[in-house]
Amino acid sequence: MSQKTFAVAAAPLLFLFFLLPSPVFSQESETCLDCHNAMKGTIKAQSGAMVDLNVDTEKFKASVHEMLPCTECHLKFSDASHASSGSAVPSDILSLSSKISAKFSSDPIAGAACIKCHEEVYQKVLSSVHGKNILEKKQTDGALCADCHGSPHYITKAKDGKSPVSRRYQVGTCGKCHGNQEIIEKYKLEENVMDSFSESFHGRKLLLGHTRAPVCSSCHNAHDIRSKSDPLSPVFGKNKLETCGKCHKGANEKFVPAITHKRPGPIPHYGEKLLILLTMGVFAFIVIHVLLEAFADIRDAVFRKKEDK
Amino acid sequence: MSESTTAATGIPKEIERFNIIFRIQHVLMFTTFLILSFTGWGLKYAHDPEGLSSIWIRIWGGPDTAGLIHRIAGVTMLFDFVWHVIYLVYLFATKQMTINARTTVIPLPKDIFDVIKNFMYFFGLSKEKAKFGKYSYAQKFDYWAVFWGMFIIGFSGYALAFPMQVSYIIPSFATGWIWELLGLMHSDEALLAIVFILFWHFYNEHLKPEVFPMSWIWITGRISTEQLKHHHPLEYELLFPGEAKKEKKG
Repeated sequence: MSQKTFAVAAAPLLFLFFLLPSPVFSQESETCLDCHNAMKGTIKAQSGAMVDLNVDTEKFKASVHEMLPCTECHLKFSDASHASSGSAVPSDILSLSSKISAKFSSDPIAGAACIKCHEEVYQKVLSSVHGKNILEKKQTDGALCADCHGSPHYITKAKDGKSPVSRRYQVGTCGKCHGNQEIIEKYKLEENVMDSFSESFHGRKLLLGHTRAPVCSSCHNAHDIRSKSDPLSPVFGKNKLETCGKCHKGANEKFVPAITHKRPGPIPHYGEKLLILLTMGVFAFIVIHVLLEAFADIRDAVFRKKEDK
Repeated sequence: MSESTTAATGIPKEIERFNIIFRIQHVLMFTTFLILSFTGWGLKYAHDPEGLSSIWIRIWGGPDTAGLIHRIAGVTMLFDFVWHVIYLVYLFATKQMTINARTTVIPLPKDIFDVIKNFMYFFGLSKEKAKFGKYSYAQKFDYWAVFWGMFIIGFSGYALAFPMQVSYIIPSFATGWIWELLGLMHSDEALLAIVFILFWHFYNEHLKPEVFPMSWIWITGRISTEQLKHHHPLEYELLFPGEAKKEKKG
């Protein structure tokens, strides 16, 4: 068989590539992304929110949601164009979307649609201190899904090193609010959490890459996060025994006060001042003594040579 | 000190200053000290300079392994210290060691006067340096610094490494601040210890012109009589009274 005949015979088989599993990427997403990948900038939606039009195809394909068609979450829209309205939105999503519309103003239905697949987790969030802040207190600067996980278009697994909730980035993600002075004052949050964590043994070890050092969610939980004054919080009173005990077997009541986010009390504070004073005092004495002795030795060697011998 | 001190037969060329047990204790002490300093430094200065501590800790096998090395070295050092104290008690109990003002490592008022005398010498106010017994004030300072370190850094380190065991002996009123204080004690005093060794011990036993590159006594355990006479004249007089008298007359 000549090369040419082989090529002709094999050519029709090339269509098999289309059957390979790699482009699970939905056909419909392709249609939307044809435009949205190229579009830049924001427009004002009916609700008044500024909506970023750009969706980066490459990053979307790398996300865990790459196989979902756009209308899976953007229920308002139909497959083809923006003109025809989409299928009827289920009532539970509609009611949830109205509750979060102030927070998730660009497309509240899409923000509520997470619950279709992530029901259990979403319910936990809604009953958490973060969720109640949005549902009950009607605040817009609190955390909901995208504030911690980033855009749903580009979301990756938490175990993936790039995720904002990964071990590497989680503390910084929580710090966007918990290290923000305005938010701390507005919600009367514990004010020293970021510094106290990074100064602590936990924070230092995490920074160095210790594999078992805890991140925020290790002690405070992730989705069902609660105020430390909530009896259901893992860091409320005696719950700490169990929470610390996850890593520190046999954690008891005398051990658990070891880690707090409070500023050090007067004893450690002045204790450290005293230790620094001692260190500086000893340091001053030994440096002065060593230098003087060295100079005296040089002086003796240069000027008193003859007297010695 | 087991050497004969009878001056009639002449004096030995060198005498034993530290026996093999003291030398082993010293080697254990400084190897564990170095390991503890190196591994602890990465944790103390985890933040700055940015990223460098991570690299440094990776040299020690990563934070998990470095932590394990630090704990093993710490426990070894504590054992070394306990061994030293028990050995001293044994030496006293069997009368192999007795307290003499000229040979003891215990600080005496004379040491304060020696410091003043030496400072006067440094400033040219006195023609003579202080004369020492078996241990100069610099050496006594070196020795007792380890004791201070063992109580402060050793205990706090033990508490931090085995918090659950130690928590039972911590009184309830102290639990609110003791852990914070233990961490500060451990890290601040460790820095003091490192600075102390780097300046005081290194200058006196390594960099000083008369001992550079180092005093070899830590290996041989022996000091020449010539050096003894020069650096520890009061001990020399005690060991070889006849010889010392002759030299004074001559």
